[in-house]
Amino acid sequence: MVSLVKQPLLSLLPSCNATTQSPKQYPFANTPFKSSQSHFHGLKLTFSNPSSSLTPLISKTSVIVSAKVNKGSVPPSFTLKDQDGRNVSLSKFKGKPVVVYFYPADETPGCTKQACAFRDSYEKFKKAGAEVVGISGDDGVSHKAFAKKYRLPYTLLSDEDNKIRKEWGVPSDLFGTLPGRQTYVLDKNGVVQLIYNNQFQPEKHIDETLKSAQV
Amino acid sequence: MSILPNHHHHPAAIGRHYRRRSHRVYAAATTPTKTRPKLEKLTINPTPLITPPKLDDPSLKSTWSHRAWVATGCTTVIASLAASLIGSIDSHIWLEPILSGFVGYLFADLGSGVYHWGIDNYGDASTPVFGSQIDAFQGHHKWPWTIIKRQFANNLHALARVTTYTVLPIDLIWHDQPVAMGFVGVASGCIMFSQQFHAWAHGTKSKLPPLVVALQDGGVLVSRSQHSAHHRPPYNNNYCIVSGVWNRFLDENKVFEALEMVVFFKSGRRPRSWSEPNSDWTESTVESPAMAD
Repeated sequence: MVSLVKQPLLSLLPSCNATTQSPKQYPFANTPFKSSQSHFHGLKLTFSNPSSSLTPLISKTSVIVSAKVNKGSVPPSFTLKDQDGRNVSLSKFKGKPVVVYFYPADETPGCTKQACAFRDSYEKFKKAGAEVVGISGDDGVSHKAFAKKYRLPYTLLSDEDNKIRKEWGVPSDLFGTLPGRQTYVLDKNGVVQLIYNNQFQPEKHIDETLKSAQV
Repeated sequence: MSILPNHHHHPAAIGRHYRRRSHRVYAAATTPTKTRPKLEKLTINPTPLITPPKLDDPSLKSTWSHRAWVATGCTTVIASLAASLIGSIDSHIWLEPILSGFVGYLFADLGSGVYHWGIDNYGDASTPVFGSQIDAFQGHHKWPWTIIKRQFANNLHALARVTTYTVLPIDLIWHDQPVAMGFVGVASGCIMFSQQFHAWAHGTKSKLPPLVVALQDGGVLVSRSQHSAHHRPPYNNNYCIVSGVWNRFLDENKVFEALEMVVFFKSGRRPRSWSEPNSDWTESTVESPAMAD
């Protein structure tokens, strides 16, 4: 199927270079969020004309980028703790499609909309045989409260220090100040079939990835 | 600059009108791990609910001090505009000063939105410099109708004072620059009178002068409908209150949401608009005359 990789234009600015740095008091404060240098190699950019002057500026421009985890590749495995403190490995989901969505933080407006949208469409994902996993830098306590408050039926994983985010090459936004919002759809063999990025229209992640999961 | 109801010179009056139900303190706590420090909401020393101001409350009336500040503010604005006009005539230019004035008008609207956003979302009554204004803004959300009962100079005097302090030195330094004076005159005038535009935006169509209604309907002044949207949950849009021309762009492009996210990730501070509507925001239904139609 055709992969759809859209990235905000601003995510391609200085943040996507240099070495990984340890976060300080705030994971992203004073240190532009960076992914590994190989993220830039083989970078391919195309721009599409904006279709409407009323769409949000930041997600207006579509860019095709060769990220570290690309369509067609098998992403590096991980083992992270979920909201109940249990270790969860990506390999656990092999044999069925899985939607892995990286989001900035619990209890922020966009992430809440996104989480609730995934919740509301969860049955459709289940019907397609797919699982949904959300990943952010928040700890298990935060995830547990977030999941409980909004009755989220799926797994939230704690990527403390944003190690997995960097390994997968999730680009940041706004000159590295914001963790990016990027969703991957992996097929039952663990191969990436779709990557979708949109920071400020979080509900669109559900529409795009559901279509992919249902194929 | 103060945009919404001015802070009074009488703390008791401030407390009587605008004291909130409870105080919120945001504290950042570091954790042993490298996770983002969490902000914890603490509710301390809840204060009893204060009754809303009466319609004929003396604190809504203008004093001679208020009038004096409005006079000085207007003087500095008029001086800017006069300097621009005279300089333009002397220099035989007209397009540039007019354009710069228009840019000043646009700048004032954008500035009003950014300031309003900041004051609405961050800090509290104890914040240095801005504390009284922050408290007043919260009070305005609780009792928005008081602004239409406030007399003219009472409403504008705080902005007029800031205008005086800011524009007077600019007038003295750049009085011979007609283009700059055009920008300064229009921008400062719009900012100073933004509180009046704001009050009109809370008015009732039938009670407003026809010219004001026409300017609101024409998008020259912020409209009643646009501003009333700001007073509805989630209270995170339509922050601009001069013409409102920036509101659609800023809201559709999630500019303030982006700024809020950046502030959150840089400092850990959550804006008030991220919280569930609570008594700080919710308009009181006690003795509230009808809002604008």
